[in-house]
Amino acid sequence: MQIERIKFERTGGFAGIRIATDLKLDDLPDEQAHTISELLDDLDFGELPEQMMNDANMPDQFTYTITVETKKWEHTVITGDVSAPEKMQELLQLLNRLARTQKKQ
Amino acid sequence: MHKRSPINCIVPPHVLRNIATHGTDAQKNLAIETIKGSAQMRGQRQALAEFSVAAFRVAVGGKERVIYDAKHGSSLPGTVVRKEGEAPTADVAVNEAYDGSGYTYDLYNDIYQRNSIDGNGMRLDSTVHYRVGYDNAFWDGEQMVYGDGDENLPESERLFNRFTIALDVIGHELTHGVTQYEAKLTYSQQPGALNESMSDVFGSLVKQHHLQQTAADADWLIGQGLLTQNVKGVALRSMKAPGTAYDDPVLGKDPQPAHMKDYVNTLNDNGGVHINSGIPNHAFYIIATELGGYAWEKAGQIWYVTLKDKLAANSKFQDCANLTYQTAADLFGVGSLEQQAVQKGWAEVGITVGGTTPPPDTGGGCLEALLRLVGAAPAKQ
Repeated sequence: MQIERIKFERTGGFAGIRIATDLKLDDLPDEQAHTISELLDDLDFGELPEQMMNDANMPDQFTYTITVETKKWEHTVITGDVSAPEKMQELLQLLNRLARTQKKQ
Repeated sequence: MHKRSPINCIVPPHVLRNIATHGTDAQKNLAIETIKGSAQMRGQRQALAEFSVAAFRVAVGGKERVIYDAKHGSSLPGTVVRKEGEAPTADVAVNEAYDGSGYTYDLYNDIYQRNSIDGNGMRLDSTVHYRVGYDNAFWDGEQMVYGDGDENLPESERLFNRFTIALDVIGHELTHGVTQYEAKLTYSQQPGALNESMSDVFGSLVKQHHLQQTAADADWLIGQGLLTQNVKGVALRSMKAPGTAYDDPVLGKDPQPAHMKDYVNTLNDNGGVHINSGIPNHAFYIIATELGGYAWEKAGQIWYVTLKDKLAANSKFQDCANLTYQTAADLFGVGSLEQQAVQKGWAEVGITVGGTTPPPDTGGGCLEALLRLVGAAPAKQ
């Protein structure tokens, strides 16, 4: 599946600091775009439930909102730290870093 | 010595509470009658103290900490690395989590006669080294979880140190546990901001108590030491001056308001629970500094009793103000300096309590308050 765009937002957490980024994969270095596409494919992102936060009683957790756009569909997933599957950790880490770098510029 | 002791010097409140909450009906009645009957008290106190202390030991544990290592993975709790009574390890995060949860236990136990998070000796579990590059700490409903900050980034890019570095962060997380067992404040909008504020208040008090600082000496910062030298800021929040903790090109500016007129309406962060907590935080700071001395003694006591006995899951700022004002009267008397300080603290953040007339005398004063504190009398409201 050809991923065109990925939007990422992290809110909450102990510090309550929001970070976000909006990435067009064409604008990213090839290797990074490839990694993101692979991680999303691996997760079968389009099939993930929209609401994955099932842990309301976990103060100070982060809330992640990820929206992925392809030519054919757009899908948003909302998750917390504990409810995010292990497979999603690498993606979250990468998007966190990209969001922070973007904020700096 | 024939000095007349106040009631809480004769039978420790935790003992009374233990009897009142865990005893048989007969024991409960005895505990209550013992407190009520001041004339008979002297004769009974020894016997009562003996049986209740024995019951206390059997019924509940004391301070029991276990520290786990997630080894940068995401499964909880991870591998046990240090248990209660064991010597320090070579891992500073492990030792900080161990010591910090101990200091938190001490504040609750020694000052508020609360035996751990649930009031019943619950084991304090903490996991360190959670995930990779995890700039956070949280309470998962059963335990504390700490990340190492930006350990995965080059030093020049790091913004956060490990989250165990700040004692008030540890006290903050454990207090989420206390709130979960007591007021059960919903983690959204104003009740959520109160939940956050309670954690900041007692987190700061844990630090102040450990350092034996007066309200005037304390820094009133949350997360001091957490930000690296790459960040323009001193901490994550300031109870003394909300909105001034950091102002940085990457992190942005501390968004906390100190007054209701600056209340932030947002959908993010569960309705700004980490933002609007600045308002009740600042009210507490004003009250504590107004009263002077150790903040955990009077202001902290008012807050603790309010959290334990009065706040409800859906309480808002105005409710909290009204209830702390009421608690101040219960503990220190109607129109007392303490109650006046509470009124002033809330007024300065834009919340009016008490009006111009004193509230009705609820009667009972200290004795009734103590009974409520130990759970032997019904909560007010």
